Amino acid sequence: MGTIRVRFILVALVVSFFAVGMAAFLNYFKYKSTIGNIVKSRVLVVGRGIENSVQASLQLGMQFSELSQLPQLMQREKGTDRLVRGIDVFDYSGQVIYSTDRARVGQKVPATWTQAAERSKTTEWTADESDEFVAGISVKNAFDLTVGFLALRYGRDEVERAAATAGREILLAALASFLGIAIVAPLALIVVIRRFERDLRSLEAAASHLEDRQQAPPSSGSAFDSAIGHLRASLRDANTSLDELRAKLDAAG
Amino acid sequence: MTAVTGMLEKNYLWRIYWRLAGVIMVCVVIALAVVSYFSHRVFDRELVPETEQKAATVAASVRALILKATGYGVAFNELYGVEQTFGEVFEENPEFAYAAVTDLDGKVLFARGKEADQAREYFRRDTVRAVGLDPTATWIAAHVNGQYFISMPIASDKPLGILHIGIDGKFVDNVLLEVMLDVLVVLVVSLFFTLELLNFMAGARLASGLGEFGQQVDRMRSGDFTATARIRANDEIGRLLRRIDAAIDHLNVRYEFLVGELDDKLRAATGPRREQLRPAVQALESIRARFRFGSASKDSETDEMNLNRIRAPLFAFILAEEMTRSYLPTYVNQLLVPIPGLSPQVVIGLPIMLFMLIVALGQPYLGSWSERVGRRRAMLIGASIATVGFAATSLAINLYDLLLWRSLCALGYAMVFVAAQGYVLDRTGHDNRAQGFALFIGAIMVATVCGPSIGGILADNIGFRASFGVSAVMALTSLLAIARLPTLEVRTLTSQRPSRGPRMREVVALLLNKRFMTLTGLAAIPAKVILTGVCFYLVPLYIVSIGNTSAMAGRMLMVYAVMMVLIVPLSASLSDASMRRDRYVSVGLIISGLSGMLLLVSDSFLVLFGVVFLLGLGQALSIAAQSALVAEHCQEEIRIYGSDAVYGVYRLLERLGNAMGPLIASILVIFWGYQGAFIAISGMVLVCGIAFTIATRGMDWTPAPATS
Repeated sequence: MGTIRVRFILVALVVSFFAVGMAAFLNYFKYKSTIGNIVKSRVLVVGRGIENSVQASLQLGMQFSELSQLPQLMQREKGTDRLVRGIDVFDYSGQVIYSTDRARVGQKVPATWTQAAERSKTTEWTADESDEFVAGISVKNAFDLTVGFLALRYGRDEVERAAATAGREILLAALASFLGIAIVAPLALIVVIRRFERDLRSLEAAASHLEDRQQAPPSSGSAFDSAIGHLRASLRDANTSLDELRAKLDAAG
Repeated sequence: MTAVTGMLEKNYLWRIYWRLAGVIMVCVVIALAVVSYFSHRVFDRELVPETEQKAATVAASVRALILKATGYGVAFNELYGVEQTFGEVFEENPEFAYAAVTDLDGKVLFARGKEADQAREYFRRDTVRAVGLDPTATWIAAHVNGQYFISMPIASDKPLGILHIGIDGKFVDNVLLEVMLDVLVVLVVSLFFTLELLNFMAGARLASGLGEFGQQVDRMRSGDFTATARIRANDEIGRLLRRIDAAIDHLNVRYEFLVGELDDKLRAATGPRREQLRPAVQALESIRARFRFGSASKDSETDEMNLNRIRAPLFAFILAEEMTRSYLPTYVNQLLVPIPGLSPQVVIGLPIMLFMLIVALGQPYLGSWSERVGRRRAMLIGASIATVGFAATSLAINLYDLLLWRSLCALGYAMVFVAAQGYVLDRTGHDNRAQGFALFIGAIMVATVCGPSIGGILADNIGFRASFGVSAVMALTSLLAIARLPTLEVRTLTSQRPSRGPRMREVVALLLNKRFMTLTGLAAIPAKVILTGVCFYLVPLYIVSIGNTSAMAGRMLMVYAVMMVLIVPLSASLSDASMRRDRYVSVGLIISGLSGMLLLVSDSFLVLFGVVFLLGLGQALSIAAQSALVAEHCQEEIRIYGSDAVYGVYRLLERLGNAMGPLIASILVIFWGYQGAFIAISGMVLVCGIAFTIATRGMDWTPAPATS
């Protein structure tokens, strides 16, 4: 196989690898973000129920730190979705005021939670911990002032398991496509560059007979015929002149 | 090279490239379709159950509300506001298309949304009604004529009815639509990559081989049979050239032998014998007059192969920077720290401004530096600095260190850009300089098409920091490609004159020159201000501010770059042919100026697309004509200060326009918001365009060839 053909095939393989790889990458990440968003919004539905209850209490004039029924409500809501690991309510300083996990009350939440809540342009925010995701809601009073934050912790397993399954299948599809291309593309390229290779072969063949003095080989119909014709004519011209010099030298004895 | 062989080489190769690119693209499209089909299946299979689970959670929440109302004594079939609650549910969950409450017989009591055909039959099915009668049942799922239904019992102390939520069957298609847009971008980028790789992996060698073959034919036609001592590649073209070399060598040996024999005979000959040799001497003189034999001089050898080798490292390096364009402002926004006295909008633009400023001020002086240290070495240093800059940017703690790392990127960018430009200059003469710069600009243009879109996609999926990491890897790859460039520095006669940056008195004199400033102040600077202000600052920030992604910003910037790639060559040749470059500059500026005005009509996404499209069109029309106009418009100034100084100051001011763009845009955002900034910056360019048209109307133009 000619080196040029190999190079063209390599180009096809590199480009295909890039395109198929990117498509697989895009599909995988789209899947991961979509499944993540679905799960997050599912968890937030639970959170909205708690938030509505807190809002109702605040509107009745109760203080944010005096919602005695809130822990039971949180415990009950936690039970509605097996995905939710725990629910915390914390204030502006990040201190947990209520939690489904008693040991957490009084502790500080990671700074990334408060930062995420502050940075969010809506009342919803998210944070990423090493072993769990956090979906949160900023709780506002009637004057649209944030009085605290509600955080729902849920496991990464569900999202990651689903992403791993989808990722494996997308990867397999991508590998199969790439293998298909690796077989089809070289064949298709060979058909397309046949004419070019024929031109190169006829050029090489013609070049190997450049110094033949006989009549030029018949035209091969390649794109290089006229160039080869010029080459042969130039060489013939120069050789004829040297032949004349030879003849005159011989004639001089 | 004659026109015939030149055309043969160019057209012939390009025909092959396009055919190959076509075949590769067909294969890629089929492969992408296969990947998309299987991905769709995975999405369908995995997302539907998750969405049903979510619908069940939502349904449980709605059910709790219903039970609360019935708990207060409201009759189940007389509930008020159920449809409104469904409306709120649809707003928060756009994938839900329908919701209904039925009684235990399956009769619809409350409903909202688009009801699937046969939904009512489904509600009356025994299996569904059984759910309502069993208060302990959780929920069931079914697929009914294009909608996925979940049905949940409503029961207090006794069964009351059933709540149904219908999920739009096309929601998976909608999720995949955005992936499809990205896949389309990947396809376009793949096409450009294909052409670039064809050139890099095969074309450069083929083009230079065929080019050399063409030159050899021309040389031999003109009687030049001097031998070159080149090492030929072991491929088809290399073997062909070796055969031609061999034929030339044989001819030279024969010539040397005959000359030697004649010399010997002449030395030994006296009197009549010398007369006998006279015809041979005359024949040799005739041969010497018509042909040239011996060794070819080094000067006659072009360095086309090595010239082509700059394209790959330059492409990879520029791509690294271009990848950051679509998300850099949003990344800066994340690292923002309050700077007293500066609005956050201005602060976001600071890294872009600083980058442009360093490139603008550094380039004139880095040119002579790269000459001193060597182009390859300068590029190696520049790419190393930029690699460190990209890697450090990905780890930036806040805005302050980000500014430092972006400065490194800018310094590296300026070094590589200038040294690569010098590399091309060193390896080209008057005959092939335009070809050399086409290669240089081509690499940059392809990088501007591919970079922002791919960068945006990466940023959306793997995050800003990891995307900067990818840029660092790209810059590192370019470093490896630069290392493979020839270590031997070459200088053609035209590039031997040392270059220098413009002197201060030249800058001042030109700044006060009316003709020069008409072109620079009314055309070049505004064009750059709108480019960086709109494309690098406003578009990425505005798109994200209206809830879109960095990938969308990348797609927008890709539209701009594609317009440039398609229109610039056309407008350059048309403006050169018409010799009314001023008109192209005027029309280009006015179109650019009108682009932002579209936002007066609407702030929709399509309009923004129109803004970028028109901006690309306007810039493409004027950009090539602008620099050529310097030579036309400022002949007197070129005579006094020299073309290096005039072009140096022109480029310096143009690049300062690049630095001013984000600053102006950010100040405008403070006062008028994003839309106002788009409109104001475009209005400014429109005014400049009109002023330029008036100022240049009726001027006596002395056409001159384009110079860069």
